[in-house]
Amino acid sequence: MTKPITCEELLKYLSDYIDNELNEELTAEAQAHLATCQNCRVVLDTTQQVIFLFRQQGARRIPAERRRRLFSRLEAAFFGPRSSQVS
Amino acid sequence: MLIIPDDDALLAELRARSPQAFANLFEMYADRLYRLAAGMLGDEFEAEDVVQEAFARFFVKLDGFEGRSQVGTWLYRVTYNLSVDCLRKRKATTTINPQTDDDPEDDFPVPEVFIDWRHVPEMVLSETELSEQLDQAIRNLPEKLKAVFLLREVEGLSTQACAEVLGISPANVKVRLHRARLQLREALTAYFVELGQEKQVLL
Repeated sequence: MTKPITCEELLKYLSDYIDNELNEELTAEAQAHLATCQNCRVVLDTTQQVIFLFRQQGARRIPAERRRRLFSRLEAAFFGPRSSQVS
Repeated sequence: MLIIPDDDALLAELRARSPQAFANLFEMYADRLYRLAAGMLGDEFEAEDVVQEAFARFFVKLDGFEGRSQVGTWLYRVTYNLSVDCLRKRKATTTINPQTDDDPEDDFPVPEVFIDWRHVPEMVLSETELSEQLDQAIRNLPEKLKAVFLLREVEGLSTQACAEVLGISPANVKVRLHRARLQLREALTAYFVELGQEKQVLL
């Protein structure tokens, strides 16, 4: 088999590993490395945590007042000068 | 989970000036575009202006809008481009970032701190405080990395969709995403480790 991957190589492949886009062989190598290398394990875990934290930000909505204002302006732009639409 | 109705149906109804279609369009895209613009610009007022302009341009194009580009992709792209324009205008106050697309592929941040801080945010920060820190971390990313990360991770676009929005190759999306993730990890690690030690939830 190929020689085991180094920390440097794992780092290079980290995103692909996280996204399940590494081939079978490299995935196995990565897993073997992660099983014994505490530092790389922490880098993986904390990187995944960063991704998780930011994904939660995807649920954020425009603050209410700003949202209302934006909606009104866009409504005016879309429908032209008319009395307010039923929404 | 957002259900996106068929683009053709939406376009037809918008062209007919259906109030429901307008409301749907807003529901579907306003928050998304705002998050992208706010993330790129770090300024809520400018973000609002950008989103308004993006929709306004869409309305102008509405009648001639073809199926070549999906509505969502088009709106994201215009929002991104408008945000970049805004950033250009601010040039005087931004620092020059030496990173370009020509950087060698292995030129990314090497981790230096190997402390597991995963429990720290939850234990020590409110939701608002955490959001602020995350916003701050994004603000400090170079522009090109920022866009990819926001679209891919926060907005959940596929690699292919990101590539279309940004006008770059999928391979380039992946490289930038990788760099963004590592840079953010370094920045947030430094922050959470210091905070965790200060609050004595980390050794």
